[in-house]
Amino acid sequence: MSTELRLVRTTMAALGALVGLYGVVRFLGLGWTNLLATLPWLAGVVVVHDGVLAPLVVVAGVAAARTLPAWSRPAAVFAVVVLGAVTLVAVPVLGRFGAKADNPTLLDRPYAAGWVGVAVLVLVAAVAIAVRGRRKGAARG
Amino acid sequence: MSSTRFTDALTRLVDALPEPDDFPSTARNRELTARVGTWLGACFLLAFLTGVWSHLAQLPDPVLPLPTRPVWLYRVTQGVHVAAGTAAVPLLLVKLWSVFPQLFRRPPAVRRAQVLDAAERLSVLVLVSSASFQLVSGLANSAQWYPWSFSFRATHFAIGWVAMGALLVHVAVKLPVIRTAWLEPQGQPAQGTVSRRTVLGVTWAAAAVAVVTTAASGVPGVRRLSVLATRTGTGPGGIPVNKTAAAAGVARAAADPAFALVVAWGDTERRLSRADLEAMPQTTATLPIACVEGWSASGVWGGVRVADLVDLVGAPTGSAVLVESLQRVGASSRSRLPGNVAADREAILALTLAGEPLSLDHGYPCRVIAPNRPGALQTKWVSRLEVRP
Repeated sequence: MSTELRLVRTTMAALGALVGLYGVVRFLGLGWTNLLATLPWLAGVVVVHDGVLAPLVVVAGVAAARTLPAWSRPAAVFAVVVLGAVTLVAVPVLGRFGAKADNPTLLDRPYAAGWVGVAVLVLVAAVAIAVRGRRKGAARG
Repeated sequence: MSSTRFTDALTRLVDALPEPDDFPSTARNRELTARVGTWLGACFLLAFLTGVWSHLAQLPDPVLPLPTRPVWLYRVTQGVHVAAGTAAVPLLLVKLWSVFPQLFRRPPAVRRAQVLDAAERLSVLVLVSSASFQLVSGLANSAQWYPWSFSFRATHFAIGWVAMGALLVHVAVKLPVIRTAWLEPQGQPAQGTVSRRTVLGVTWAAAAVAVVTTAASGVPGVRRLSVLATRTGTGPGGIPVNKTAAAAGVARAAADPAFALVVAWGDTERRLSRADLEAMPQTTATLPIACVEGWSASGVWGGVRVADLVDLVGAPTGSAVLVESLQRVGASSRSRLPGNVAADREAILALTLAGEPLSLDHGYPCRVIAPNRPGALQTKWVSRLEVRP
């Protein structure tokens, strides 16, 4: 490793430690009640990802690799990743959890219809990718 | 259970756990991880910087006065903040997918290596936890959904620093790998029908679709495509309402015909009814309301210049002004206009929006609107302006 790279790494790590420590001090300064209310969320996001979401994706991937024909797999990945990400991001609006009866300007779109529209477009694009993949595969023979 | 049977069971469990080589996809490799990771890091840096900017802009008495121009600066930074966070969701998920087998790597045999391995795992745990927390809490906040009891603003800000620190440490640890992956990339493995290129393309597509459908609602023209945005971006006078008069508990006091605004400077006090304010010289300005939750909308506001009110009580131009609302509790019940803001010719005590009297939910009888400020500081239902030396 060059000395230059080592210097960059050391500086970055030291700066990172300082920045992170400042965050921890600020966080602890918010008091016990706030700390205890936050910890389940800090732990929960990791548990839900590593324990539920990631294993599900791995199992789904293995199943898809066994059942789907090769030409259709990129299209399937496209549909699952794009639609999955958009759906996750849209959970707060799809559930309308923050809606307030006295404020009609908040959460004021037809979200179910919007989601169906996005899903249809993503699936159409996925079919186009699959068709292209099949033609290419056939041409290669 | 005896201790040997317990250790046996534990050994069997550990043996049953997959090892990194058990994960079949050949699309997982350091080139993919480095590419997605670099863009993810860029998104987090953008969100961090714009977040710190918003925090500085909300300080009641900033050491360094923030400029009042360009008027759209705060609006753009907060739009970028939410867009970067939204784009980071698919990037983070793909990034974690690409390194998921590493979670199952067995600890090294040598003691010193074990310690280093444990330290790195701990730093990654802090990074994954704080980064995921920021995205989840930020997304829920933008839809005014609070399924928790911690203070959102203060906690999101503190954990933002933790995430940024952990990210810097992570990049420092991985820098040689990142460097090789970018500068001397290995070729694609031959087998496997889902290639690295496919995964990358799909990831960028997911980030783009997520941003356009949810977070681009402040961009004129793209707004219609944001079918999953928290707001259509309209409301009374063409501007959405963040908090209604009823929710703030001011509906009766604000509609009271006996309302009078108090402007104070030392011992001098002037009481002005809405009719008195309407009789003063009027000005208009096209200014955005830019909420910390990411949405923004521009309106034509009309009313009295704050500078004229400062003048009215004989206070020197450039004095700071403390603004109090009829709203008694909550962060938005008061704000402070630093001297440079109070003196700005576009800092207005607004009486109208889009040529109509302010609606009750937009702050009737009068509200503050000033350029390049967080929406939370554009105090509504103003009852008192106190000029400070």
